[in-house]
Amino acid sequence: MTVDVPSPASHASALGDRLAGAVLLLLAIAAWWHARTFVTGFHQAVGPDVFPRLVCVPLGLLALYLLVRPGINERWPGRAALLRQAGLLVLLGGYAAFLEPWGFLPATLVGSVLLMRLFDAAWRQALVSGASLTVILYLLFEFALGIPLPDIPGLGL
Amino acid sequence: MAISPRSLHTVAAAALLGLGLSVSTPSQALPISECIAPADPGGGWDFTCRSVGKLLYDLDLVDNPVKVVNMPGGVGAVAFSNVAGKRADDSDLIVATSTVGITQIAQGRYPGGVDTMRWLGMLGTDVGVVLVDDDSPYQSLDGLLEAMVDDPSSVVMAGSSGVGGWDHIRALMLAEAAGLPDDQIGSVRWVQFDGGGPAVTQMMGGHVDAVSTDLGEIAGFIKSGDVRVLAVLADKPLAPPFEDLPTAVSQGYDVTGYNWRGFYTGGEVSDADYRSMVDTLKTLYDSPEWKQVAERNGLVPLWRGGDEFNAFVRDTADKVESISREIGVIQ
Amino acid sequence: MEILGFLLHGFAVALEPQNLLLALIGCAVGTLIGALPGLGPVNGVALLIPLAFNFGLSPTAALILLVSVYYGTMYGGRISSIVLNIPGDEPAMMTTLDGYPMALKGRGGEALGLSAVASFVGATVATIGLTLFAPLLVGFAIRFGPAEYFALFMLAFATIGGVTSGSFTKSLLAACLGLLLGTVGLDPASGVSRYTFGWYELYDGIDFIAALVGLFAISECLLFLEDRHQTTGASRELGSAIPGMRRAGACKATIARGSLIGFIAGVLPGAGASLGSFLSYTLEKRWLGRQGDFGNGDPRGVAAPEAGNNAAAGGALIPMLSLGIPGSGTTAILLALLLSMNITPGPLLFDQQPDMVWGLVAALFIGNVMLLVLNVPLVGLFARVLRAPSWLLMPVVILVAFVGVYSLNNSPFDLYVMLAFGVLGYGLRKLHMPAVPVVLGLLLGGEMEFNLRRALAISGGDWSILVGSGISVGIYAFAATLMVAGLVYAWWIRRTPEAG
Repeated sequence: MTVDVPSPASHASALGDRLAGAVLLLLAIAAWWHARTFVTGFHQAVGPDVFPRLVCVPLGLLALYLLVRPGINERWPGRAALLRQAGLLVLLGGYAAFLEPWGFLPATLVGSVLLMRLFDAAWRQALVSGASLTVILYLLFEFALGIPLPDIPGLGL
Repeated sequence: MAISPRSLHTVAAAALLGLGLSVSTPSQALPISECIAPADPGGGWDFTCRSVGKLLYDLDLVDNPVKVVNMPGGVGAVAFSNVAGKRADDSDLIVATSTVGITQIAQGRYPGGVDTMRWLGMLGTDVGVVLVDDDSPYQSLDGLLEAMVDDPSSVVMAGSSGVGGWDHIRALMLAEAAGLPDDQIGSVRWVQFDGGGPAVTQMMGGHVDAVSTDLGEIAGFIKSGDVRVLAVLADKPLAPPFEDLPTAVSQGYDVTGYNWRGFYTGGEVSDADYRSMVDTLKTLYDSPEWKQVAERNGLVPLWRGGDEFNAFVRDTADKVESISREIGVIQ
Repeated sequence: MEILGFLLHGFAVALEPQNLLLALIGCAVGTLIGALPGLGPVNGVALLIPLAFNFGLSPTAALILLVSVYYGTMYGGRISSIVLNIPGDEPAMMTTLDGYPMALKGRGGEALGLSAVASFVGATVATIGLTLFAPLLVGFAIRFGPAEYFALFMLAFATIGGVTSGSFTKSLLAACLGLLLGTVGLDPASGVSRYTFGWYELYDGIDFIAALVGLFAISECLLFLEDRHQTTGASRELGSAIPGMRRAGACKATIARGSLIGFIAGVLPGAGASLGSFLSYTLEKRWLGRQGDFGNGDPRGVAAPEAGNNAAAGGALIPMLSLGIPGSGTTAILLALLLSMNITPGPLLFDQQPDMVWGLVAALFIGNVMLLVLNVPLVGLFARVLRAPSWLLMPVVILVAFVGVYSLNNSPFDLYVMLAFGVLGYGLRKLHMPAVPVVLGLLLGGEMEFNLRRALAISGGDWSILVGSGISVGIYAFAATLMVAGLVYAWWIRRTPEAG
């Protein structure tokens, strides 16, 4: 995980660093260029465009350095792992999208059950734990913490 | 963190403690059931929502506790666009606002103009004040403004709003009244801090010359004598303990600068619902409890409601728009 | 001494049985809230303020309850930092750096115990400082103008290479990325929107908590999915808190230095607890040099930021109480709390309501003692939580984080931000680029920029104001020394490879 001393075998080629360097370099250039739209009618000694540009300079230079002299990277995952990771992102993105239109209870029930399935729970475990988690979270936020969660449309739950 | 059986006891205890505090209500056409504070917890708008929401329930003006929802973003623009887009006809919703919000609208920073919403009323107001450090060379408002007119860049002013914000505009209205030509008004140096308190502290440290901000937030410094008030921007002298502070009007500058606190609701709320909401707020305003809450928080209770308030909002927005144009904040 | 009398009175009140019970409840509830990813002191205290009133508590009792909740949430944030590598709030971020590696080695309980003791000492040092030097320090703090604050932020970024053992270039790159992301949103000084591309949700900038939880929690889950047969990040055994408390003795020099640095950062209203814990960690790392094993589970890497963070929180009370300026997010909550109790902090507070001031100080102290006591059973509780199977633990963490982040602004947009930062965090880990500087850039960038702009607004565009005072020149000199020392140290490490 985050331990900073990986075994040499886990080091992939430094392609990732070069790629990141290129992306960050482009970002720095784009951000510098976009800063030209930050104009005010009122005179200011330092306008809203100065600081972002000041940051873009070291960002661009360091990115260039990374591009030319890359360092150590970890190994990137295989296809199966990438699919699972994409699944997680799609699932969570979908949950965010349906939270308000569906209301908290149904969205969280579906979301938590699928999430537990993704983490290798059996259907039975996922259904039972997902349902309990949904209810506990609802009670915790809505009542104990007093934070209103999205209602199911028309039901007020 | 997972919820283990043991921690459930704690949850249950917390739930017990929280009973009666947070019962969410079905959204029927009841009187006011929700207040949106377009800011994080702790700020002025949040305070307006929480204190008014609590009083509405305490005074039995609503059947259920008012739910306060924080919706920060874009100095109120997020809440404004949300209400305009999704809840324009929601007659149980009120949204907290103030002069700061109107300034934003007047400068075209909200997705829509004043007419997008129905303006319910204001319940109280804070008063603008111009002050300097107690050992500043400026002894009077005349002294400060003369120096400014002579050389606009010689005075560094500070406040809690950005360039073109209400604190800045109030200060420039004074400079304008003192005869600073329009083309030089942009040379006055303006520094923004995160609030009136930090601005005053920086002034005490000698980093800026004068501060323009709301009285409520910095009243402690006035009482302690660390600062000298050159002018309060009110029509007439304030109530005690601030009765001795000179108004700008009494010194020959016809400038007032209030920062009121009030509410709007969606633009498609029916006339009947609108009237009943205005009446509810008026009843709240008339209660002694509100006067107490307001004064405790440095606000002067002041009521404008319904059509009168609508006209007032429109008028304020026009004034702010014209001065913003003069100083070049909007083209 | 008059002050001492007030303080003793404050303690007498705080030690009444009812108040002790409130402190216990507050700490326990607060710890639970704080341990939920995405929920922090803001939620805990803001939501309990009305509760204190519903109970009709006396002002002192209400203060004790709320302060205990506040401390509880802060401590709860440490638990998720150490155990799950998910910081509950910004100042807790530095604790993940060595706390989580300790947990990986099965020494999580020790880290928690150590963190409690270091917090306690930090808070105590701050209380003593507050009692003795408050008026003096106010005079010192107001000499810090925008130019001096800018220098202070430059110092923070000059030491950023010391955050992790990763490459210096990558740390700086990550910091620059954070600073750039920090400029997203409506520029408060001019009203111009920057890099928002028409999204109103971005007008207030990128939400720190959403970014923080995404960078740490979501990326952790993505990493976990890579190899489903590995165990969850943390070791299943936490161990006991007791050895950690004992070990604090061995770290006493570290704790003392951390407390001092944190306290100074706290007294300066523009700096705050995040900077306090950050500087305590990086400066301690520099101080120890090769004697330390920071980043790999060195207990001193937990002790330094924890002491610094709590000393900063205590130090921040000075400008908050005497000037009414909330220096950090956490003191802003305490300020709201005092205002809600009809106490207006400001220059007269110490004179007019000394009982309130010293009651607050006593309440803070009691809260800390209570946490120290609660620590032992709490570690057992969280150890049990960790024994949950990963198919349950991971989804629960993710969903609690989701609901917590959603409830901050009631905006699904923040959830997308969190996901985006999750992907970013995952990428950073793969690239061996530290995530901490990104958050620091995001967190401190705004204040850094505004102080630069304030300074130049004051001078009318003359950049020499930045080095116009002895204080700022001194800070720059210190920063330069550290930077050079860091480079020399890096070179020396490379020359002697056995010093991994």
